[in-house]
Amino acid sequence: MTKLYLVDDHRLFLAGVKAELSEEFVIVGAAYDVDTAIEEIRGLDPDVVLIDVHMPDGGGIAVVEGVGETNPDVKFLALSVSDLAEDVIAMIRAGARGYVTKTIEPRELADAVRRIDAGDAVFSPRLAGFVLDAFAGAMPSEEDPELDQLTSREKDVLRLIARGFAYKQVARKLNISIKTVETHVSSVLRKLQLSNRHELARWASKRRIV
Amino acid sequence: MSSGMSLIEVDSGRRDDQHVKSTRDLHLRRRGRDRVVAGVAGGVADALGVSDAFVRAAFITLTTVWGLGILVYMAIWLVTVDRVEDTEPEMVELQQAFGLAIAFAGSMILLGTIGLWPSNVLVITVGALAFGTAALTDRNMPGPLAALIDPTVEKPGRLRLLFGVALLIGGLAVFAANVGPLYEIGPVMLSVALTGIGIFVAFGPWVARLASDLGTERRERIRQEERAEMAAHLHDSVLQTLALIQRSDDPARMSILARHQETELRDWLFGNAPLEGADLLSTALKDAARKVEADHQVPVDVVVVGDHTLNESTRALLGAANEAMVNAAKHSGAERISLYFEAENGSLAVYVTDQGRGFQPAGVAGDRRGIAESIRARVERAGGEAHIDSEPGEGTEVILRMPVAVT
Repeated sequence: MTKLYLVDDHRLFLAGVKAELSEEFVIVGAAYDVDTAIEEIRGLDPDVVLIDVHMPDGGGIAVVEGVGETNPDVKFLALSVSDLAEDVIAMIRAGARGYVTKTIEPRELADAVRRIDAGDAVFSPRLAGFVLDAFAGAMPSEEDPELDQLTSREKDVLRLIARGFAYKQVARKLNISIKTVETHVSSVLRKLQLSNRHELARWASKRRIV
Repeated sequence: MSSGMSLIEVDSGRRDDQHVKSTRDLHLRRRGRDRVVAGVAGGVADALGVSDAFVRAAFITLTTVWGLGILVYMAIWLVTVDRVEDTEPEMVELQQAFGLAIAFAGSMILLGTIGLWPSNVLVITVGALAFGTAALTDRNMPGPLAALIDPTVEKPGRLRLLFGVALLIGGLAVFAANVGPLYEIGPVMLSVALTGIGIFVAFGPWVARLASDLGTERRERIRQEERAEMAAHLHDSVLQTLALIQRSDDPARMSILARHQETELRDWLFGNAPLEGADLLSTALKDAARKVEADHQVPVDVVVVGDHTLNESTRALLGAANEAMVNAAKHSGAERISLYFEAENGSLAVYVTDQGRGFQPAGVAGDRRGIAESIRARVERAGGEAHIDSEPGEGTEVILRMPVAVT
């Protein structure tokens, strides 16, 4: 069974998530602060960590980066009340494989954890929208054009996710398998993490008015 | 010493409850904040209701009479306790302050009459200088130096300025007239310079600390104002919503209230309140979505990619999107509605999607058809197109497209 670790400085919320997920996953531990989280995750080596974004002492990003140095196989799913573009993109670029907001339904959250555990990426509709916005327009980059553009298929997948469709429905609408949808999303995640597009870093500062 | 101690009976070793009580009855408490030495003058000022600058001046002047000021100060310090919570001193009427000033002058004359007077020069000089400075630096009423020290006090009155400066010049003149001619100018200059240096060395650090304390105080005040503003906002919004939620026993309504509050608080916290983008399509769509949430108690997830300004044709798009959301909220039975808006390559697209019960677009009843037509007709009139994608059991998606001129 999947070993799950939880990090959130909001204890009440943490208790709720614990109750929702404890049937399906082995919750090996939980932390309320950054330092404890890094130390325990290094020792326990869980499969998936559910991580809050806003915490004192560096927040979720500090945990993802701190654990990533020693345990690169631990996968992170960011879970936050914030859906600000800066937070979302910074978290993904630090190494998280998915980002969902705390208003997510328990069933969908369990689904997201399973998907992360399987090595896929999890994009909420809003994150899909952010990515489309960040990669919009034909902004050529000399260094690695492939990393800096989304393919039209990837854009199709993201648009459908942004429209609120589940992966299964996306697959049916595009006449492809769920596995292919997951491949596209993972590929977008890789581009999001590695791309040099300057919009990714400063993109929330300006609205793109067409 | 004996004169000071005999004024008030004191047992300085044991300040018991009874004692505390008696000083409370007199309303005489040493100041906790905003004090120069031990808060005694401030406490007296609070109790009498006069400005503390003048009380300090009185103490200084009394000190010239065989150190009486210091004795009285110490005596009061012994019998009083520190004020715990600091309230703003009430200011007395001008008339009452004038009366106190006359009483003070009268008692000074009495001291002179009964032969306790040291020297006119000393008392008048120090008194004039002390009260002049008090008139200029008093922070409770606007004085020119006070305005320099603390920018929040009002600009000084002209009368007070004249009064303070006149007292200062008068005091210096009396001193110069009586003391000056007795000395050679050289040693006087030297002594003045030495005194100045001495005062600078002795009090320089204290003045610096006072200045930094004032800075801290000002920062603290700003912080308090911010906190008050935040408290006011939270009271008007979050607390009201929480109260509403507690009074409601309908889970759906509670959830909508919570969600509505969440969005509003988020906008306030992260500063993307609708003000600056009020004429943008994205803002208008978000507002419309919130209204649908509130009216029909179904959450609407809004995702926006790109943006466009509001004009006649985009307003048609907005209206049609609103109809589609209301329609989905009323008829689909879905738990939530998605609104996706995209502006790209000279074309705007709005998708209103639900995972509800769906319908057969070809053969619907009159009113549903009417809504569909009103959505379609509205967008087509403005040069766009509408497409409704639905099947029973499969949810509904309304797709609206509108070409726009690329700016």
